[in-house]
Amino acid sequence: MDLNLTRVDYLQVGVTSPRTMRLLPEKKAKVPQKVAVADQSGILQCFNIKKGETQMSFKTLPGNKITRLELGGAVGSPADKIFIASGSEVKGYSKKGKQFLGYDTNLTESIKTMWVSGSHLFLGGNYIFNHYVDCKDEDYYLCSDRINDMLCLPLSRIQEVTPVLACQDRVLRVLDKSNLLYELEVAGPPQSLALFADEGGEDGSEVLYGTTDGKIGLVHLDRTSPSHRWEVPNEKRLGGVLCLDNYDMSDDGVPDLVVGRDDGTIEIYGYDDADEPTLRYSTSLSESVSSLQGGVVACQGYNEVVACTYAGWIQGLTTEPQQKKAGPGEMVPLGADAQNKLGTLKTEIDSLQARVLQEREKYHFAAMNDKAISAVPHFDVNDKFTLNRDDASYTLSIEVKAAIDNVLLQSDVPIDLLDTEKNSAVVSYSASDTDQSGNFLLATYRCQANTTRLELKIRSIEGQYGTLQAYITPRLQPKSCQVRQYQIKPLSLHQRTHVLDDSRPMNTLKLTGQFSLAEIHSWVCFCLPEIPERTPPGDTINFYFLSTFLDTQLDCVYKKGEGTFRSDNISTISILKDVLTKEATRRKINLNISYDLQDNSIPDTLQRIHPKLEYQLLLAKKVQLIDALKELQIHEGGDLDFMSPEYRQILEESEKLQEEYKKQPCHLERLYGMITDLFIDKFKFKGTNVKTKVPQLLEVLDNYELQNLIEFFNSGGS
Amino acid sequence: MLVPVFTLKLNHKINPRMVTIGKYDGTHPNLTAATTAGKVVFIHNPHSRTLSGGRASELSLDSDISLLSINKSVSSVAAGSLDPVGVNDMLMVGTQTDLLAYDVQNNTDAFYKEAPDGVNAIVIGTLGTINSRLAICGGNCALQGFDIEGNDMFWTVTGDNVCSLALCDFAGEGMSELIVGSEDYDIRVFREDEIIAEMTETEAITALCPMTTSRFGYALANGTVGVYDKSSRYWRIKSKNQAVSIHSFDLNGDGVDELITGWTNGKIDARSDRTGEVVFKDNMSSSIAGIVEGDYRADGNTELICCSVEGEVKGFLPATQELKGNLMDVNIDQEKVREMSQRKQNLLLELKNYEENAKAAATDRPSGLGDLDKGKMGIIPANTQLQTSLSVNVDSEGKGPHVDLFVSTTNNTILRAVLIFAEGIFEGESHVVHPNQNQLTNELHVPIIPPKDVPVDLHIKAFVGHKSSNQFHVFELTRQLPRFSMYSPCSDQVPEPKSSVTFTVNERVQRIVMWINQHFLLNNELTCDGDLNAGFMSLRGSGPLFIQMKSGGQVTVRTDDMDLAGDIVQAIASFLGLDELQVTADFPLHMEELKGILVKVDDFHEVRQKLTAEMADHSNLIRSLVVRAEDARLMGDMRNMRRGYMELYDLNRDLINGYKIRCNNHQELLSCLKQVNQMIQKAGNLRVGKFKTQVVSQCRQAIKDNNVSALLKIIKTGSS
Repeated sequence: MDLNLTRVDYLQVGVTSPRTMRLLPEKKAKVPQKVAVADQSGILQCFNIKKGETQMSFKTLPGNKITRLELGGAVGSPADKIFIASGSEVKGYSKKGKQFLGYDTNLTESIKTMWVSGSHLFLGGNYIFNHYVDCKDEDYYLCSDRINDMLCLPLSRIQEVTPVLACQDRVLRVLDKSNLLYELEVAGPPQSLALFADEGGEDGSEVLYGTTDGKIGLVHLDRTSPSHRWEVPNEKRLGGVLCLDNYDMSDDGVPDLVVGRDDGTIEIYGYDDADEPTLRYSTSLSESVSSLQGGVVACQGYNEVVACTYAGWIQGLTTEPQQKKAGPGEMVPLGADAQNKLGTLKTEIDSLQARVLQEREKYHFAAMNDKAISAVPHFDVNDKFTLNRDDASYTLSIEVKAAIDNVLLQSDVPIDLLDTEKNSAVVSYSASDTDQSGNFLLATYRCQANTTRLELKIRSIEGQYGTLQAYITPRLQPKSCQVRQYQIKPLSLHQRTHVLDDSRPMNTLKLTGQFSLAEIHSWVCFCLPEIPERTPPGDTINFYFLSTFLDTQLDCVYKKGEGTFRSDNISTISILKDVLTKEATRRKINLNISYDLQDNSIPDTLQRIHPKLEYQLLLAKKVQLIDALKELQIHEGGDLDFMSPEYRQILEESEKLQEEYKKQPCHLERLYGMITDLFIDKFKFKGTNVKTKVPQLLEVLDNYELQNLIEFFNSGGS
Repeated sequence: MLVPVFTLKLNHKINPRMVTIGKYDGTHPNLTAATTAGKVVFIHNPHSRTLSGGRASELSLDSDISLLSINKSVSSVAAGSLDPVGVNDMLMVGTQTDLLAYDVQNNTDAFYKEAPDGVNAIVIGTLGTINSRLAICGGNCALQGFDIEGNDMFWTVTGDNVCSLALCDFAGEGMSELIVGSEDYDIRVFREDEIIAEMTETEAITALCPMTTSRFGYALANGTVGVYDKSSRYWRIKSKNQAVSIHSFDLNGDGVDELITGWTNGKIDARSDRTGEVVFKDNMSSSIAGIVEGDYRADGNTELICCSVEGEVKGFLPATQELKGNLMDVNIDQEKVREMSQRKQNLLLELKNYEENAKAAATDRPSGLGDLDKGKMGIIPANTQLQTSLSVNVDSEGKGPHVDLFVSTTNNTILRAVLIFAEGIFEGESHVVHPNQNQLTNELHVPIIPPKDVPVDLHIKAFVGHKSSNQFHVFELTRQLPRFSMYSPCSDQVPEPKSSVTFTVNERVQRIVMWINQHFLLNNELTCDGDLNAGFMSLRGSGPLFIQMKSGGQVTVRTDDMDLAGDIVQAIASFLGLDELQVTADFPLHMEELKGILVKVDDFHEVRQKLTAEMADHSNLIRSLVVRAEDARLMGDMRNMRRGYMELYDLNRDLINGYKIRCNNHQELLSCLKQVNQMIQKAGNLRVGKFKTQVVSQCRQAIKDNNVSALLKIIKTGSS
């Protein structure tokens, strides 16, 4: 069944954090619900919609930034109490707006996530987790990586208190009181959690998760044996999942899955016969969706999804048909209320305009005064710099509340900017002399009017590290721009993983010296992405990594005074060695470096690259042939019998092939580059410089045959 | 919401910009396009199937498509009627070497013309007072018009390769003028062979289309689309995609044509001709190849027809009254509310900025600004100003000669980066200077090297703050770069150039001095009593330039650069408001060069004839060899057969070599012809008004007559 939803705007509030809007429950089904929303200026407001007009129930005064809003209530009664978290404080409001709770937790970290269930309160900071019962401290857990989200399995159905933490290092941590029960690895860094269906599925232990790289999955979290139910991959490369909800939009008795993403996409999934999710509806708002929920808001009996965006727009996607009053495209389909709305807006704007003019004059007048200063406050920037596993590239997204005028990108390392269809900004590259200014990239993005969100794709090269800076200028007077910095790490294309294939031959790099655990952790953190900045607890730290491009692996084990790095890719070891020695020398620490290289690791790595390389070569060859074959087809009048089946197949699949080729530009060149690095690094460890042999190597690659390549590596090109 | 009334899949690829529609039988419109192979034109003919034999071959019985083999790479197609009654349309196919007029209905060639300048664009219609309808082709700097018999009725030159053509009643006198877009970024308007207007754009003009009355739309290679009314621009927008095709069509039914644009990313949009506001948009799965209009369903309604490169076709009918101009499925009120809320939000944010600023100003700060600036928000003194100056820098620090833009702040705040947005002088649309973190100061030098002599507005954005700030104030200001900025004053000692242009104007010397002060970048204003002699040195290395004027009004421009001389003459003429100006041009070096080129052209022609004869010989030989070898094969004489084929193989190789030589020869010939055309254009550009036209037409005559001495004389004196 297809859903047909129309978009309605309700209200705009301040910039919102993720998951700060909820619908208050009503006793009767399908009765318009109230919306509670909290923004970063600290205002909590609650409103309902009557005949298209918003009616405010209550509105608090501005205060600290509110980071989370949850609903709760005594066991057995409807959860209509509003809980907000800001800083280290939790406040509770009744639905009438009366504050009944103000609890300062005195936590050292500010609260990032919250879960309320009866008299149980669960709070999560960056790394710490706390459990309170009736505001009394019960349990505590220190997590080794950042906590992105948290929930507790429904206490009404499961006796033991079982909190679930979604952590940045790609695992769900399931706790039992203050202890870790087990970790479960999921498809990506989980960013948001939700209980499945009504209160967690059949037995209350089914949990939905959404990852920063846009995947969604369902897991069954038993107390002993967890299991994966299903996973939705992110083929269309949509944004990361910020919020999830279950709501029966189609009235078929089964709750649908509603998903909100940080690129503004809202999706609704239904379930097929095998209980696998299938996409039913998808739309895109232009700003990231920070929270959403299904319910009834505007009109009795009509289901809708209410979404709140980063910039604070509250919008509904409703099943209510909007054009019942007039024919299609009627200029003035709405009556007096819409006109009223416009009228009030207009007077508001006029008076604001007058005030702004006055203030502007004052500001300009101040420029005459020698002592006056000009201090433009920081504007909020919602930015993200994430690695995509599928094509080993980074996505940079920048979102500002006001429209963006232009963005200047500057980098002191060579990187490539890739064109993405999602942005319509006009890019222009600027020449610069690299020697003097150290700029490898200078590019401006001039945005079209009303662009509040910009998404860019960036490709980095492993071994080349530095900083990417973005100067963001919004269209806002007085004009100011903000700099954001993003680190391009030496092993930028590596990703955390939790399993290691022990059967591969591994090269080892061993460091010993007078360094503390914190020091070596900071070095490793400098080299590799997805590691918590703060040193994890314990004496020995162990991380596994996977190269997103080549699928080679890296195992890091380190403790005070000693570090061991093992990888099947010799280039990885070489990069690590260079960077670590540089870092240690910078801090004047003596390092003893020893390495143990496995000669058979090279053929093994080449073997691993082989299928990718072969596939890419074949693809390139096929794509090259398409045009020529098409021309033949035209000349021969469309009759293809004379062609070999191979060519006919190419013609049949031409569109698919071309699309695939387009999707991964320069893939072959990058593979060539990696193989060349491998070649150079292998002999670098042996103390010979083989740079002069590179043309020969490229020749071997052009007439690719795995065995020849391995031999070339063995012989060193001589 | 407007939806397509029909969609078709033609299963043929279509070359971008090579789509047309013609009523070849006088009633039924047929979509015609060049396909990817580049050698074939196909005609989609859903209404009648009468074609057979001749050039066209029907694909198969159940197909509506007929193919036309051109066997050369097609560069443009157009359909239109050439006879004065104008019933049956003719198909014109242009390639890099010739033009074919093809009568589809009778399946015959109407005429075939060699076009050594290539045919990049074709437009069919009436031009000015010329009686017969013409097919006007634009090629390598040249424009040529043919009537129905293939007679050459019109010829003129333009500045560079022609990319696009349109006929439009530019002056509003009920006659069509020819609008020409070329690779040198210029749009020129020809009333027959006289240029009546010239507009400089920022990129090659890839498409032009006439709109209501004197308006016309244009598209540039850098993704800009816009509308001109006469010689002033109404609006323009820029996208990161490129416009492939533009067309004017009244899609919303309000009686005024909209500009319909087809983009490389498959988007189609319709924009109001007055404001550029989007009134409708749709998407195709691949890049648009062309947009045409015609009554394709034969029901009396004209549809807008959009074709994609993959052969997908969509037809749209103009909106009916009910839609009331609302073609997109939007709730206008909602959009309005949204827009106003956004404005309100912006005002609120701005207000908040001022409030916070006032708050910061009110805080006590005994230790200066440093303490307050903990948030690194880049607090600067309110009286900070940005100063800029432009000067000519002959050569310093090995950067080569350039125009130097100097930017500085008035106090110890630093300049983190300077962005300059300007059109046509940088590779992209912007230039950035971002110094190293430890070299930040309160001043910056930005070298600018404008590639052409055009006046440019520099939109400067400077990020001002402190070294450790992560937020900066953005200072915005605009400076104009004068037209002749790449020339630095020099003394009289420099040897005078050999070439010169001389003319007489009825003005005081002071007026010319004023012109120089406005159009050159001078440190000190030029003043002059008595005779004027201003010397400049080109920073682009084209030698010195002297502008001299006697009190009697005789002006001499001395330079070895004919283009520059032309630019200066045109600029002075427009400054003084002269409609016509005749000059004496003395360019000995150029004349020698021209003579050399003409000799070379003759040589190339000769070589070509020889090669063609050789090729004919070879093909005869091939025929006999094939017959001999095949005979041998039938007789079972394998030795002779093999020998025959070996010889054939050698011959084939010779032929290929010959072909390569011919290709090179042709390329050389083309470039020579281009130079000749450019020389004529330059010569014309030294004059203004009717003298300009006169020079061009007389030069053409002289070349036709192969009269070199007359040609040189015309270039020098302006008439034969």
